[in-house]
Amino acid sequence: MTSAISLSELVKTFGAVRALDGLDLEVATGEVHGFLGPNGAGKSTTMRVLLGLLHADSGQARMLGGDPWREAAELHRRIAYVPGDVNLWPNLTGGEVVDLLGRMRGGLDEAKRADLLDRFELDPSKKARTYSKGNRQKLALVAAFASDAELLLLDEPTSGLDPLMEAEFQRCVVEAKTSEGVTVLLSSHILAEVEALCDRVSIIRNGVNVQSGTLSELRHLTRTTVIAETGARADRIADVPGVHSPEFTDAGDQHRVTFDVDSDHLDEAVKVLSDHGIQSLTAHPPTLEELFLRQYGEEVPA
Amino acid sequence: MSAPFTGTGHLLRLILRRDRVRLPLWVAGLGGVIAASAYAVPEAYGTPEKIAGYEKTVGDSAVSFLMSGRQAALDTIGGITANEIGQVATLGICLMVLFLVVRHTRAEEESGRAEMLRSTVLGRHAATLSATLYAVAAAVLIGAITTAAMIGADLEVTGSLAYGASLTLLGVTFAGVSVAAAQLSTSARGALAIGGTAIALAYLVRGFGAINDNWLVWLSPFGWAQEIDAFGAERWWTLGLLAAATVVAFAVAAYLAEHRDFAGGLLQERPGSPRATRVLGTSPGLAFCLQRGTLIGWTAGLFILAVIYGAVVPMIPELLESNPDIGKTLGIEGGDLEAAAINSFLSYSYVFLAMLTGAFAVASVLRLRSEEEAGRAEALLATGLSRVGWVVGSLAVTVVGTLVILVLNGIGIALGYSFGMSEWDRVGEIVVDQLSFAPGVLVLVGFAMALTGLLPRWTMLAWALVAVVFLQSLLGDTLKFPSWVDGISPLWHLPRVPSESFEVTPGLVLLVISAALAAAGVLGVRRRDIG
Repeated sequence: MTSAISLSELVKTFGAVRALDGLDLEVATGEVHGFLGPNGAGKSTTMRVLLGLLHADSGQARMLGGDPWREAAELHRRIAYVPGDVNLWPNLTGGEVVDLLGRMRGGLDEAKRADLLDRFELDPSKKARTYSKGNRQKLALVAAFASDAELLLLDEPTSGLDPLMEAEFQRCVVEAKTSEGVTVLLSSHILAEVEALCDRVSIIRNGVNVQSGTLSELRHLTRTTVIAETGARADRIADVPGVHSPEFTDAGDQHRVTFDVDSDHLDEAVKVLSDHGIQSLTAHPPTLEELFLRQYGEEVPA
Repeated sequence: MSAPFTGTGHLLRLILRRDRVRLPLWVAGLGGVIAASAYAVPEAYGTPEKIAGYEKTVGDSAVSFLMSGRQAALDTIGGITANEIGQVATLGICLMVLFLVVRHTRAEEESGRAEMLRSTVLGRHAATLSATLYAVAAAVLIGAITTAAMIGADLEVTGSLAYGASLTLLGVTFAGVSVAAAQLSTSARGALAIGGTAIALAYLVRGFGAINDNWLVWLSPFGWAQEIDAFGAERWWTLGLLAAATVVAFAVAAYLAEHRDFAGGLLQERPGSPRATRVLGTSPGLAFCLQRGTLIGWTAGLFILAVIYGAVVPMIPELLESNPDIGKTLGIEGGDLEAAAINSFLSYSYVFLAMLTGAFAVASVLRLRSEEEAGRAEALLATGLSRVGWVVGSLAVTVVGTLVILVLNGIGIALGYSFGMSEWDRVGEIVVDQLSFAPGVLVLVGFAMALTGLLPRWTMLAWALVAVVFLQSLLGDTLKFPSWVDGISPLWHLPRVPSESFEVTPGLVLLVISAALAAAGVLGVRRRDIG
C-alpha cells in the first residue's frame, strides 16, 4: 500500500518551543487515520506543515507524492482542509464562501454542494458574521466534502456540532472513503468518532509519535484490568512481572483482588490466581478512555 | 459606583495594560510634534519684520484658512504659533481619540473578546465609560503638553492656557462623537469611517467658514475651539459650546447603547446572495469584494474633498484683492501674483490628497496581514491558490485602487476649479499633475508590502512612514527638519507641480524603489511561515 502522507523526523520550533520534535507519521492511501493527542501536542502544527503554511526546520515531509512546502498550490488542488476554528469573511454569505473555496481549489461538484447544504441544514444566503460556531464548522465541512479531493485534512472538524450533525459528518466520511477511496487524516478528541471511523490511529505527545496502529493493536499493547475472587488470599500476584497496583479486599473467606496486567503477562497472572482457587474472574481490555488517558500521560484510577 | 458602570476601574486597568506602548506613542508622538513646533516658531519668526510678513502672507492665504482657520492675533508670536500647529494639533487629537475609543469599544465587541468580559461582574456601560475616560485622559495629556510647551517657549500664559483648553475640549467632544459612532456600526472599520467622516466634515465646514469669513465657522466644533481667540480676545465662553456638544454626543451615544443588542448595530443584517458571482473566485476578485466598501468610501470621500478643494480656487483672486500688500511682500505683482497663488494652492491640494490616498493604500496592503492574523488566509492557501497569487491579487487591487483614486482626485479638483472659474482648459493638466504624485504613494505601498513579507509583526511601521509623510507635508516648513528627515517622505522628492516644473527622474527612481520593496515583500511571503 502506498502512503498518502509520510512524515519522518519532522522538527518544527517556535523560538524555544519544540512543537514537533522528530515526528514520524504514515497514512496509507485510502485509510481513515485518527490523529490523537492532548492539547498542545503538535497536531495542528503537523496539519499546517502538511498544508505548506509552516516550513519545517528539519525532517522529511511527503504528501500525495509531493513536497508540501514547495508544491503547495499544486497539491492543494487534490486536498481539502477543515480547521477546528473556522474563520470566515464576515461580509460574505455562506454560499459565497463555499463557492469561493471551491473555485480556488479548481472546481466543486454542484450536485454534492446542493446535497450537502441540505444535509447540514445550512442557509447559504446568510452572512457569515451571523453564523454560530457550529454553523461555521458545518460550512467548512460542506466546502471540503463538495470538492473532489483525494485527501481530507480534518483538524477537530466536529467541534461545536450537535449530535445529529455529528452523525451526518460520520456518514460523509464513510461515503467519501467507500465510494471514492478518499484518504482522511482526522484529528479529534471525540473518541467515539475515532472508534467509529478510523482504520488506524496515531497518538502524539510533545511533538513525538508515541503510538501508531489499529485500535486492537493499541489495546493489545496496553494493560488488561482483572478482578478476581479467590479461596485463598493471592498475595503472590504482586510478584508476577507485568502486574500493576494490585488491591486486596478481604471479607471473611472471600478474598478479592483487582489489578492491571500487561497483556503479555496475562497468562502468568491467571496461572497464579488459579493456584489460589478462582471463584470468579472478570477481565476486560482497557476502554478507549483508559487507553487514551494512559497514552496522554495520566494514570487511570484503579 | 452604580450598577451600569460596575467594573469600570478593572477595565481601565486592562486598557492601560494593553496600550502601555500605544498610548505613550500617541502622547509622545503627537505631543512631541506640537511641542517641537511651539519651540520652533518663535525662532523662525522671532523678528518684528518676520511677524509682519507672516501676517501679510499667511493672513490672507486660502490654504492657511482651509488648514488652520482664521487664527486670532497673527501679529503676535503666540498667534503665529497657534496658527502653525493648528492643523496637526486639532486633526491629530481628534483622530487619536477616535482610534482609541473604537479600539476599546466596537473592536472588542466585534472580536468577541468583550463577550467574555461581559460575562463577569461588569456593568452594561462599563466598557464605554472606561474607553471614554481613557480617551479623555489622553486628550487632557495632549492639551497639557501643548500649554506647557507654549509657556515654556515664552508665549503669553493666558493665551497658552486658552489654546490648550480649547484643544483638549475639542478632543473630548470628538471622544463623544466616536463613542456614538461605535454604537452605530457593527464593525470597527465602519465606526472609524463614521467618526472619520464626522471629523472631516467639521474640519471642512470650519475651513470654508474661515475662507469666506462667515457664520459657517459657528457650525463646527473646530470653529468653536478656534473662536476662543487664544492670544487675542480670549472668549472663554466658547468652551461652553464644546462642553455642550460633548454632553449631546454622549447623550446620543447612551441612547443608542440602551437601544441596541450586544455586538449589534442599528442596521439589521440582510440575507445576501446564496451563490458567489463570477468575480469571487479569483484572488484579485476576492480582494476586490473584501475591499469594496473601503474602496467606495475612500474614493467617494476623497473625490468630494477634491471637488471642495477645487472650489476654493475661484475665491483666491478675491482674497488677493482684499490685501494688495501681499504682492509687494512676495515680490510678485498683478496677474502673475494671482497665477502664483493659484498654483501654490493647487500644489498644496495635490500633496494633501496624495497623502490621504497614501493612507488608503497602506490600509489596503495591510489587509493581507489582517486576513492572515484572522486565520482566513489559511483557508485560502489550503486551496489551489499559491502564496504569490494571493499576494499579487490583493496588491493589484491596491495599486489599481490607488491610481483610480488619484485620477478621481484630479478630476474632482478640476471640476471644482473649472465650474468656479468657468474655464475648462486646465482639466487634463490638473489630472496629470495630481497623478504625478503616484510614485510617492506607491513607495508607501511597496514599504507596507515589504513589511508584510519580511517583518510581519512590525507592519505597524507602515503607519509610522505615513505619519512621517503627514508631518513632513504639513509641518516640514515650520519644523525645518534636516533634509535626510524630509527625504524619508517619498512625496518630498517629487516636484511640487505646478509651482515647480515637472521632472521625470524622481518619479522613475521612486517607482523602481517601490517595485523593489514590493518584490522583496512578495518573496518574503513565499518564504516565511503563515499565521
